[in-house]
Amino acid sequence: MKFRIFRSAEDQTGAGAADPTESVRMGGQVLPEATSSKAASAVEARLEDATPVSGPTVVATPPTGPIKIAARDVSVFYDGKQALYDVSLDIPDKTVTALIGPSGCGKSTFLRTMNRMNDTIAGCKVTGRIAMDDEDINDRSIDPVLLRARVGMVFQRPNPFPKSIYENVAYGPKIHGLVSAKSEMDGVVESALKRAGLWEEVADRLQSSAMGLSGGQQQRLVIARAIAVNPEVILMDEPCSALDPIATARIEELIDELRERFCIVIVTHSMAQAARVSQRTAFFHMGRLVETGDTEDIFQNPRERRTLDYITGRFG
Amino acid sequence: MIWIYLLILTALSAAAFLGGRELARRRAVGAHPHSRPGQHGAYALIWVAAPALLVLILLSVFAAPLERQLTAAGTPDVVAELEHFRRDAFFADAHRVGRGEPALQIWERPLAEQLPVEARRMVRIERTLQWGGGAAAILAAILGGLFALTQIKPQTRARNRVEGWIYGALFICSAIAVLTTLGIIASLAFDSFRFFQKVPIFDFLFGAQWSPQIAIRADQVGSTGAFGAVPLFVGTMLIMSIAMCVAAPIGLLSAIYLSEYASRTTRAVIKPLLEILAGVPTVVYGFFAALTVGPILRVFFNEIGLFLMGGPLDGLGQYLALVQNQMALTAGAVMGIMLIPFVSSLSDDILNAVPQSLRDGSFAMGATKSETVKRVLLPAALPGIAGALLLAVSRAIGETMIVTMAAGLAANLTFNPLDTVTTVTVQIVTLLTGDQEFNSAKTLSAFGLGLTLFMVTLVLNIIAHRIVQTYREQYD
Ligand SMILES: Nc1ncnc2c1ncn2[C@@H]1O[C@H](COP(=O)(O)OP(=O)(O)O)[C@@H](O)[C@H]1O
Ligand SMILES: [Mg+2]
Repeated sequence: MKFRIFRSAEDQTGAGAADPTESVRMGGQVLPEATSSKAASAVEARLEDATPVSGPTVVATPPTGPIKIAARDVSVFYDGKQALYDVSLDIPDKTVTALIGPSGCGKSTFLRTMNRMNDTIAGCKVTGRIAMDDEDINDRSIDPVLLRARVGMVFQRPNPFPKSIYENVAYGPKIHGLVSAKSEMDGVVESALKRAGLWEEVADRLQSSAMGLSGGQQQRLVIARAIAVNPEVILMDEPCSALDPIATARIEELIDELRERFCIVIVTHSMAQAARVSQRTAFFHMGRLVETGDTEDIFQNPRERRTLDYITGRFG
Repeated sequence: MIWIYLLILTALSAAAFLGGRELARRRAVGAHPHSRPGQHGAYALIWVAAPALLVLILLSVFAAPLERQLTAAGTPDVVAELEHFRRDAFFADAHRVGRGEPALQIWERPLAEQLPVEARRMVRIERTLQWGGGAAAILAAILGGLFALTQIKPQTRARNRVEGWIYGALFICSAIAVLTTLGIIASLAFDSFRFFQKVPIFDFLFGAQWSPQIAIRADQVGSTGAFGAVPLFVGTMLIMSIAMCVAAPIGLLSAIYLSEYASRTTRAVIKPLLEILAGVPTVVYGFFAALTVGPILRVFFNEIGLFLMGGPLDGLGQYLALVQNQMALTAGAVMGIMLIPFVSSLSDDILNAVPQSLRDGSFAMGATKSETVKRVLLPAALPGIAGALLLAVSRAIGETMIVTMAAGLAANLTFNPLDTVTTVTVQIVTLLTGDQEFNSAKTLSAFGLGLTLFMVTLVLNIIAHRIVQTYREQYD
């Protein structure tokens, strides 16, 4: 059995170059330079004894540093149909954790368990324990409304409210009563927009409609909206999949800056993006968490056959 | 008789279809036909059915006048010399006799002898026309069919031609609706023009006195009447405002409940119920207003009036004690109830058109449901909801039955919801029902009112549709 694991150099000048986001741009993380078929066959040889379709999660490297969110045996059911099977994952603080895997494998579902957005879906049931700072977020005493102020979320398509730019950022602080004075609110809006890297572009038109911004600007506005309430965690569900390469690069830079203050979990379809922005990676397949570890390890040294197949583009 | 022809034509059409298809198959052998056999069949069918139908339509339009002409032309002098209406009566009786029924009148000597003769002649004319017409139709069908047969060739673009016919038929159907509307506008405009020749348009639009009744007989004092429509406009506005005060909040809130709060099962029950409510005939609401709501409100205000009489508010008490069943409040409130399903179902659609991603965004920020509705959904849906309310206003202005039954007829110029008022639509109804002299200013004023009403609702509808449209596009 013979297959190429990583795209060869000729391939990259061909099909690969058409999509600049996919070209290997080193942003701290390094894609395996395993373009030599020797290294590839070494991995192949190691994995030749096919691994079972389901089995315990392989933890390539345990996270270092304090754990922000600890999920244990989390399962999710939609109308009784199981979509997520016993996921246990530790998410460290001040780190970018990437969730990767083929479409429909449950990445978004798992992401939504962390701010209880699944509560808003009729017929959705979550079991297992998710602890944030050692506190069960599904506990009766936790109000999902307050939890969501601590755990912000950014969606696939930019979804600014049809209001002014200012009103969008001020939305969270207003509903949570974080600030009362107008001048204080101005400060909050300004600092959120600055941290989202949008201030310079919109400072002179804060009162114009957010719908007039470009897609990339809208997505950064949504990030500003999320960080205006000073969350501890930011969840991002394919935040760049509706953006062009340049806007994508800006968001990726932003994520890298935000990592210093927040715990970030990002779902992404792009292997290159996961490699560029994340320090930890978790690979999901068919509702199960297959393998997790340091991003470098997962990409250079996958222990599971399915992980290898996925990151080399053999399915998904 | 006509049924037999239709039956024959149907059979001919079917034969044309089958024959055309078969022929097309045979002639296609060895060639690269442009169209499929079925399309050739359809083309042949059209050429059989369309000419025949045209003949039958012409026949049904022109047969009656033609028959009358023929009858009158060949009649003997005794009959021809009769007075106009007596001759018509004679022919009517001849027609009856011809069908084997007894005559209605007893005709004297020379006419009595002519009656059976004329009867036989009329029957003959009728028969000839029927047979001739039917034969013409079948002939047209056959000629059309023969033409179609010559057209069945591999290179004939039967598909495109059939599409052309379908296009034409559909266009005619929609043109009928448009032409009817244009006809209505034209007749309204024409009669209004005659009215405005009698009553200056300025007096009509800005006069504060409405009393068309005295203008019936020319010899009466004040035969010119008074055609100031302001009291009607004010009455219409008053009732419309009351109706909207009821319908707008209740309809909107129930729409919010339905689209944001109700579970799937509740929604599945309530939504059809609301739609049924929207289908209740307005005359039923009229009963409800006149027989239930009106008396209840009257008793309510009368009791308050009796309570207040003799006290410091004696004047108000006197007034309230004499309040009648028929008042603007009754009609307005019931009309509001009628409009609730209309407003709520439109607003529900508009709220549902707000993308789910906005709700998700708001919930993810930690907003509650009511905060999301108030701060995100309603502002986002506001233009659409405004459009829906404008549509409701235009329905309230045009509504007739409820106000006729519950608001009264007195053209009072008042803003008091407890007074009887009258509306534009009610006046149109009263002006045009019963025996009316057709050329009087009184009758014609109905067209002036109708035109005004038409213009106002037209403008409202255009604005409302514009608003709803641009709102929809915003999220497409
Ligand atoms: N709202 C929902 N209702 C029912 N099933 C859902 C819903 N959302 C997701 N699912 C199902 O759960 C599985 C995982 O979906 P998702 O988490 O969206 O996958 P991913 O984000 O990895 O593409 C899929 O099989 C999907 O059909
Ligand atoms: Mg997803």
